[in-house]
Amino acid sequence: MAPSGLRRPNDPPLLILVSLADGPKHGHALAKDIEDFAGVRLGPGALYGAITRLVERGLIEPLGSDDRRRPYRITPPGSAALAEALADMRRVTRAGLARLGLDPA
Amino acid sequence: MRPARLLRWYPRAWRDQFGEELLALIQDTVDEGRPTWRLRLGVAWGGLRERAHQARRAARTVVKPLTGPEQLGPVIMAGLVFAILPENLMISPLPARGWQVAAFDTLLAAVALTGAVVVAGGLAALPALVRFLRGGGWPKIRRRVAWAAGASAAAAGGLAGLALAAGSHTSAQLDDSWGYLPGFLATGLATAVAIVLWATAAAATARRLTRAPRVRAVQFVSGAVAGTLVLVVLATLDFWWSVTQTPAWLVGGLVMLAVASLDARRRIPRAIRRGRRLRAAAGGRR
Repeated sequence: MAPSGLRRPNDPPLLILVSLADGPKHGHALAKDIEDFAGVRLGPGALYGAITRLVERGLIEPLGSDDRRRPYRITPPGSAALAEALADMRRVTRAGLARLGLDPA
Repeated sequence: MRPARLLRWYPRAWRDQFGEELLALIQDTVDEGRPTWRLRLGVAWGGLRERAHQARRAARTVVKPLTGPEQLGPVIMAGLVFAILPENLMISPLPARGWQVAAFDTLLAAVALTGAVVVAGGLAALPALVRFLRGGGWPKIRRRVAWAAGASAAAAGGLAGLALAAGSHTSAQLDDSWGYLPGFLATGLATAVAIVLWATAAAATARRLTRAPRVRAVQFVSGAVAGTLVLVVLATLDFWWSVTQTPAWLVGGLVMLAVASLDARRRIPRAIRRGRRLRAAAGGRR
């Protein structure tokens, strides 16, 4: 949470979809990537809880692998859901910035 | 603690699908060190949430058809009726007068007939069940059967306790007892839970059986007849109470009989039509 007390967009499923948007990754690579681009450290329990839900909903899918570190990729419905969620967030962001006079959209 | 032991928090099905990956991630996260308490708590919490999620999903998909308002009421009523029987039998000992004998015999006949119809429906699927079990199907239904058996044991224990209490106390003493009412309600609830669990175990088993259309058609009808007969049993129980306790129960018996009659006219023809459609569809495929 930011010092102001306002929440950041740190919903684990959303972060995982964003991370997978540029290519398949396994659990550890996902956690590192999310920490890099969002500054959010997802523990193994939270990460795999979110992965499980996303697989159940068909938004991501595992790739075949002989290794224990199985990679996941985003599916077409997952890309569509991510695009919709980001568009919603962009609308809110634009409205907020415009009203603050920081980004006259 | 070894990381592998952390997986115990997760359901078995989840471990089979994701367990190795989660272990690999934990090992990557802690590198060569030991898992911190924070990480252990996070994994344990994730496992408990997964168990809760799976339990909710199972409840929605399996129990939901049996817990709608239409089905839940009769099941709870049946549980409470079972729970009150020990007291009834002790306080209204076996009938001596003609009407009481007739009412009690009618009740027993209705119970026996309901049981026979349920058993007949089950026997129709017996060959399919034997094939399923011989094909290694038991592990797939073992857990549900075990839960149902456990709930039945709890209900039987409760009924035995109520029978002992009713046998050693007067009706007034039971009314004054602080423990009898909670015991009665707990036994009724345990009985209702046992009925639901057996029904869900039977439904889950039936879904896995390969049954001929003719057998399924027979089971549709036997299920519909058994459902109506349960209402008839409740009606005969009311009639018995009306001659052993208070005549007011007669009204309840007549109402229940009317409900059973309406239920039979709605439920049984529908089951027959469903069976015919199924057999016709199977005939068309051949």
